[in-house]
Amino acid sequence: MSATATITMTTLPSKSTIKHSPAQSHVEASSQNQPPKSQKQMTKAERREQQERQRAAKAATKVAGPQPSGSNQNSAQAKNSASVKKGGKGPDGKPTKETKETTPDDSARGLQIFSHFGLPKPPGPSKGDIHPAIIRLGLQFSEFKIAGANARCIATLTAFKTVIQDYVTPPNNTLSRHLLTHLSPQITHLVSARPMSVTMGNAIRELKLEISGSDIDLPEQDAKNLLCQKINDYISERITIADQVIQETAGTKIKDGDVILTYARSSVVEQVLVGAWDDGKQFSVVVVDSRPMLEGKKLLSVLSAMGIPCTYLLLPSIGSVITEVSTVLVGAHSLHSNGAVFSRAGTALVAMMAKQHSVPVVVCCETYKFAETIQLDSFTKNELAPAGDIFSSFPLTRSKDTLTLNKQPNLEILNPLYDLTPPSSITAVVTEVGVIPPSSISSIPLALGRTTL
Amino acid sequence: MPGLATTGANTSASASPVVSFNICETYASFLKNEELSAPLAAILALSKLIETSDAGTMLELVKALNDGAGALKASTSNPISLNAGCELFIAFVTLLPHDSASFSDLKLELVRQGQKYAAEALTYRDKIANLALGFIKDDSVILTHSYSRVVMKTLLRAHERKRISVYVTEARPRGLGLRTYEELTAAGIPCTVVLDSAASYVMDKVDFVLVGSEAVVESGGLINAVGSNQIAIIAQAANIPFYALAESYKFHRLFPLSQYDLPTHTSNVLSFPLSSGGNVASPPTTGAIKSAHERSSDADYIRQMTPEQIACNPGVDYTRPDLITLVFSDVGSLTPEGVSQYVVGMFAG
Repeated sequence: MSATATITMTTLPSKSTIKHSPAQSHVEASSQNQPPKSQKQMTKAERREQQERQRAAKAATKVAGPQPSGSNQNSAQAKNSASVKKGGKGPDGKPTKETKETTPDDSARGLQIFSHFGLPKPPGPSKGDIHPAIIRLGLQFSEFKIAGANARCIATLTAFKTVIQDYVTPPNNTLSRHLLTHLSPQITHLVSARPMSVTMGNAIRELKLEISGSDIDLPEQDAKNLLCQKINDYISERITIADQVIQETAGTKIKDGDVILTYARSSVVEQVLVGAWDDGKQFSVVVVDSRPMLEGKKLLSVLSAMGIPCTYLLLPSIGSVITEVSTVLVGAHSLHSNGAVFSRAGTALVAMMAKQHSVPVVVCCETYKFAETIQLDSFTKNELAPAGDIFSSFPLTRSKDTLTLNKQPNLEILNPLYDLTPPSSITAVVTEVGVIPPSSISSIPLALGRTTL
Repeated sequence: MPGLATTGANTSASASPVVSFNICETYASFLKNEELSAPLAAILALSKLIETSDAGTMLELVKALNDGAGALKASTSNPISLNAGCELFIAFVTLLPHDSASFSDLKLELVRQGQKYAAEALTYRDKIANLALGFIKDDSVILTHSYSRVVMKTLLRAHERKRISVYVTEARPRGLGLRTYEELTAAGIPCTVVLDSAASYVMDKVDFVLVGSEAVVESGGLINAVGSNQIAIIAQAANIPFYALAESYKFHRLFPLSQYDLPTHTSNVLSFPLSSGGNVASPPTTGAIKSAHERSSDADYIRQMTPEQIACNPGVDYTRPDLITLVFSDVGSLTPEGVSQYVVGMFAG
């Protein structure tokens, strides 16, 4: 082995493909010095190098064609170095990213930054037998036909009710154990359509707890009915009734003559405003919206149909109206242990602007949206809106192709869906257990009478 | 446990407070006791209501208590602290486990508990004084605002072992700071009254600020005589600690979003007069003028606000939790975040 060691040292100065050349020359040197060994006799490193050689050769023949041999060598080396770096997993996605050749591959277009978010893509072919309700739900999620933390959670739980009713326990199995394994691929399918929201995660965790705790002696139909009943109770208790309590509590913070500002569309805030108007309070609403989703339009149509005086503007112009606003009311996707609120992208700007002008910021959030994690910034965990114009509702004056900007090689579209509002910008959080300051999230389990959320 | 729901005569008898038991009068008579603060007087008044009530079920009793509390709140312009006491007592009544044999036994138990609580609560001020003592160093210069029984007890306790000197703000319009001045001077503590507007002038000479409270709210903030918020802001700007002393029965579930979200902020406060019958530019001829001969030299003429002008001003204000360093209470010394955790836990049962 000492002979090979000295050979590696002499080839170090070449820096072009750093990781690559010592390995390659190492391989060449060893093949010169010794007869080729069988797999068992080679060391792990040598086996690996052989694997890479074979893979590189395969990839080189694959991408052969219009390129001259020089660039072929380059691309082979680059691919090799890429696979060496990433541990050699699947040469498909990486080479197109690294080499920037003129064979564009739209579906595998990657982002140089925020690549850890993952690419939004339509759900692939389902593995295992996925219930049709789940398949439909996955499609609805990926096309944003159902959006919003509450809506997604309720839709997921309703679909799971159907799945549970259609489920038949195989012989020699108990419902409490096998149903969980039956549900796992369904959940994976949903996650592949769109990353799971915190609400869905909490609800599914409760469901799994209920399933694993279900009585073995119960006849199957009774156990299934019991589970469906528990799901109904969860939806009713922690979403529907919680929303009513929040509506009453937050409604007391709205007085006659107030100007309430809200951002995008939160189902809870919509309920609060409608409820306060029905109680006879006279106030006006400023709806702030942003592209590409333009969810505020739906809220605007609901509020103005009720007769509430509304103003509608886009996020960049918020500075001109903030001085007239008395309270800011926003919803949340999730609430974290450090008091930070994870909500539709743009909420943080609204909250910080309001704080700057001493306008109280009230977040309406049910307790089932609490995540026990701590989140400090918006880019560790986020989700990207899919490219393309699934949200566009403007009448098009130019063809869709020019608008989608998909084919430009030097342009990447980045549309994160969520952002983080720091607890310092929030005045109060209205939950169904009361109004709490964001720093006291940890006292909520005490109020709910349990040890964890 | 609750017996048959008897409607009609029972509810009407216990709902109308005027028949044999006037809660407002009872409350006022309890308040005459110097030691009792508003929330405690409210708790005792409500216990008395239970004693004389003929409600047959828990539901009726709670309704009667709520009616009584409502009557008390309506009788005063600053209901915040007595509201804290009422809510605490009603929460206690509803959350008490019913293991008594009959309803009248339960009522007796409730009354007993109410009176026991009030008696124990009188010791809270001593507890707080002992707790705050550790934060008062020898030769401290303390700034306080208006008059507070808890602060008074603490200062007198500190004076027994250490040297302290006190600045107290006048606290217009009621001028309660002067009462503090009188009591401290009588005890031998060096004390000086400063104008409310001189708070920032004096702040750099002070070691820390000590105030009492009317209520401590769920956000961890403080409701106290108007002027406290000002002093807190100046103290933060000068990096001086701001300590609030509050007994635990003053913790309230209120959550004001701003100064104007308080129940004491009526439409009258800070209102501009109507232009027709306006008193905008009228000279204060009806003001309380000390003596006639002062009017002759205009330079020494001290003008005073008219009662109508004073009525446009708030009586209490709200201090945000980020301006408060610590809240000393009988349950311990709490940070403002700790206060909100305690309040949530207290009312969750």
